[in-house]
Amino acid sequence: MDLPAGVRNFSYAKDMAIFRTKTHWAMLLLLFVVLFTLPLYLGNHWLNVANFVGITIIAVTGLNILTGYCGQLSIGHAGFIAVGAYTSAVLTNRFELPFLVGLICAGLLAGFVGMLFGIPSVRVKGFYLAISTIAAQIIIIWVINHWTNITGGFNGIAVPEPVIAGITFDTQGEFFYLIVAITILVIFFAKNLARTRPGRAFIAIRDNDLAAEVMGINLFRYKLLAFFIGCFLAGIAGSLMAHLMGFLSAENFHITDSILYIGMLIIGGMGTTVGPIFGVIFIKLLDKGISFLSPTLEGAFNLPAGFTTGIGPMVFGLVIILFLIIEPRGLAHRWQLFKASYRLWPFSY
Amino acid sequence: MNCIKLSKATGLACLALMLISIPLLGAGCGSDSEDTVDKVKVGFSICYTGVAAEKGRPMGNAKLDCIKYINEELGGVAGYEIEVIWRDNEYDAAKATTIINELIDAGCLMFTTNSSAMMTASAETANREDFPGFAVFSAPALTNPPQHIYAQMPDYGDDWAAFANYYLENIWQGEGEPKMALHLLNNSTGAGAKAAADLLADDLGIDLVTVEEHDASTISEIDSLTRIMALDPDVLYISSTPQPTSIILKDAVDLGLYPGVTVGLGHASITDELVELAGADVVEGVYGVYPTVNWGDDVPAMDKMTEYCQQYHPEDYGNMDYITSWAEGLIVAEILRLAIENVGIENLTPQAVEEHGFKALNNFNVGGLHGPVTYTAGDNRLSKSVRVFQISGGEIMPITGWIDAPQIPYVFD
Amino acid sequence: MDELLQFVITGITVGTVYALIALGFVLVWKSSGVANLALGQLVLISSWFAYGMLVQLGLPAWFGLIIVIVLSLMLGWIIERFVLRPLIAQPILSLITVTLGLAFFLEGLVSFTWPKSVAALPHILPDQVIHIGTAVVSMEYLLAAAISLILFVLLSLYFKYNKMGIAMRATADDQLAVQACGIPVTKIFSRSWMFACVLAAIGGILMSSIGGITYGLVHTGLKAFSVVILGGLDSFLGAMVAGPIIGLAENVGGGYLTPLTWPGVKDVIPFIIIIIVMFIKPYGLFGEERIERI
Repeated sequence: MDLPAGVRNFSYAKDMAIFRTKTHWAMLLLLFVVLFTLPLYLGNHWLNVANFVGITIIAVTGLNILTGYCGQLSIGHAGFIAVGAYTSAVLTNRFELPFLVGLICAGLLAGFVGMLFGIPSVRVKGFYLAISTIAAQIIIIWVINHWTNITGGFNGIAVPEPVIAGITFDTQGEFFYLIVAITILVIFFAKNLARTRPGRAFIAIRDNDLAAEVMGINLFRYKLLAFFIGCFLAGIAGSLMAHLMGFLSAENFHITDSILYIGMLIIGGMGTTVGPIFGVIFIKLLDKGISFLSPTLEGAFNLPAGFTTGIGPMVFGLVIILFLIIEPRGLAHRWQLFKASYRLWPFSY
Repeated sequence: MNCIKLSKATGLACLALMLISIPLLGAGCGSDSEDTVDKVKVGFSICYTGVAAEKGRPMGNAKLDCIKYINEELGGVAGYEIEVIWRDNEYDAAKATTIINELIDAGCLMFTTNSSAMMTASAETANREDFPGFAVFSAPALTNPPQHIYAQMPDYGDDWAAFANYYLENIWQGEGEPKMALHLLNNSTGAGAKAAADLLADDLGIDLVTVEEHDASTISEIDSLTRIMALDPDVLYISSTPQPTSIILKDAVDLGLYPGVTVGLGHASITDELVELAGADVVEGVYGVYPTVNWGDDVPAMDKMTEYCQQYHPEDYGNMDYITSWAEGLIVAEILRLAIENVGIENLTPQAVEEHGFKALNNFNVGGLHGPVTYTAGDNRLSKSVRVFQISGGEIMPITGWIDAPQIPYVFD
Repeated sequence: MDELLQFVITGITVGTVYALIALGFVLVWKSSGVANLALGQLVLISSWFAYGMLVQLGLPAWFGLIIVIVLSLMLGWIIERFVLRPLIAQPILSLITVTLGLAFFLEGLVSFTWPKSVAALPHILPDQVIHIGTAVVSMEYLLAAAISLILFVLLSLYFKYNKMGIAMRATADDQLAVQACGIPVTKIFSRSWMFACVLAAIGGILMSSIGGITYGLVHTGLKAFSVVILGGLDSFLGAMVAGPIIGLAENVGGGYLTPLTWPGVKDVIPFIIIIIVMFIKPYGLFGEERIERI
């Protein structure tokens, strides 16, 4: 463990605690203070960016459980997010159910759909699974587009503002609190999941599924569980996204997004809790930077007309490739290295 | 030991500073321009890059050129310079919502988007904030029920209605009801036409025999056209984009379906690219509706537009989308002018712009670039007219004057 | 009945073109065990190469196409050398995801170099219509199908009789053993990517001379995955048989199912087939079932 020298444990509970030292607690408190006061000094624009960052962190955390911990590559995550988004939209719009019911049902339905498409994972893995999740996404989007009387089809569907206990969430600031709260819950859940029996089973399956089976891990059950949890979180993210945007159309859930989620996971670091956070923030800021800078650059240096169009995907592709080659353990690993060296500074060896 | 503590303290302080400064920096970026009285701010959310860049780029260039023209040569609107805040939404719905928030924050008075998809993503936020805006290419669902979102151009449903009217009056010679088959792209382009057809076909006296659908990536539509052929339709209406339309038309010619049936196209299909992709002989005689004039037509705004286009974006010359968005710039200026004249510069708010700008539009002719722009209560479509074109000898020629498309009583929830 | 004949003929010809793209995937998988998810993007970029040569530079067709082939050989070499080679012996997950990164990069490169998103290639193939009974088929599809078949035969022969081809198969089977025999594995990898890119280029040129160049080619690449899955990842014959099956399923299935379900069912049939194959026979019709050991 990366703890300063001299920290001792007197009980198992203490040894297992996530926040161990006073510094940890102080940092956590500071983070919370900063997070919860953000709406005071951010405008709607940056709050909206923060909201999407939060939602994406939830989605990528789900993908992390599925791909990072359990090793089941899914390139259809945007499809499962769409299931959640539409479930929530349909329940709150057509059936006028409360937001929380929509949110939970979104998670559950996305989880079940994920499990359904995850069944082949029992027999196949790697590329086969990647393709079947791509297929899942295309089929899901097709169904959404054509089940017109439920989903609104190509015309899309309006999503009412969420109401919890009489409070209506209709500004970016209010959404921010809702999303931050859920994101923190999800991260906490993911952190702890990795330390439970299922979490360890996932890791065993990822590292060598045959060996795991021989050790007595029920592959069928745990792989499907990973699909369920991963897609459940995707559904939660989808539901939040639906309510934040207020209007849904299936065009919002593109296969490129699914690939970008994988990219975020790789850049952040697979199989770590902080990985998704780093990856999402990194990609979102990079994206923001590119879309801010590239038109200016194109104008200033008289670059070819395709510069602005092409530079985004090119940089994302390059970043994914470079991270896989140079730092396959992602930013999370760099963060570990930084913490270690910072702790020993200036007497590192 | 002390040293470590010290370093830790500094580290912590640095981290805290960073955490606090990031949002502050961000907040700084969001509102970087000062409010000045001699300028009026508008926001453009442009799909300059991304999958729709092909249309978004010339449109973005056109509206920025047009505002430049208004500011430089006309001295702005009513003496006030128009300040544009434009952002690239990359045809990404999530980004579009971020941008609409940014535009509201920045104090814009109104906004526009190019595409219906990006307006769909922005509409909810704009409606919640009473922030008016219009989409150049729109979908019926955006303006029904009418709220704070307007449509510059007739939508794909209006296209269908206008074509159907024209067909019944001028082409259909037979007895009874003509049999029509629809071939639609699997997105809102196709869905708009279908929504109109479902509502109006019975009243107009058109027998909708089948609705086929295709994907933008299609490489063969022989199968769907075979099914259509079996039903022996009199007219085939395609609402799609140039590339799939070219495949459908080529396959229709191969099958011997066309010539034979009458073919009508929605405005997204009937462009020069279609002629280039399919070949002039394949598309000979195809009808289509389009809402703007052509390059080189004799209308008042043509000279300046051509001059600016040649000077700043010569690569866009000949592109129909440039015309559409130049007109968009003119309409934005007209809305602002009306609002300033009616309520005065000091009282300008987005709500005032909507009440006294958008809703005061009356028979503004947009330099003749497209049909006149009028607001009628309960109908958030600004321009309602299209012309019917026919392709002959590889040229897309207008064969009618401006036809008004009726308002279609859509019901969306 | 007339309809059925038409559906069958269209299905087989279109499916054979899918098979051609699928061959490029099988080639790489067979010799290096890398699952290339950037298949559609390779097709897309080589179509734009062709556009650059034939339309922008205005070269005569035969000469321009030779340059396109040379360019795609270079592309294949570059991809292998700079993207795949540093990842040799990495887990399969990395090998798959790196091709996703590659896909992103290629898409960006295409829109960087060719900002317009639709373009027409000159018609390289004659496009007369041929009547078979009551059905019609366009000459360009027939020729495209014929070219796919020829390439399939050439590839099969190469892998069966050429020394390099045999070495490629051996490499896929056991890299260590092959290295111990003194066969340069990296050279084999690089060659398989070069061939794969050429196949993608030929597929791209054929398809875009029929239907123009659009982003939709990437989606066609996705459909080719269903061919690969159904045929088996490591079998050329599998791809060649599965291609027409997918094409048939699309056209005949679409032909008779559309009235029963929603319109556009044709476009998801290949993907439904993927899911069904996963459940029933995950290693495909002709694929080799790998027995794993700890």
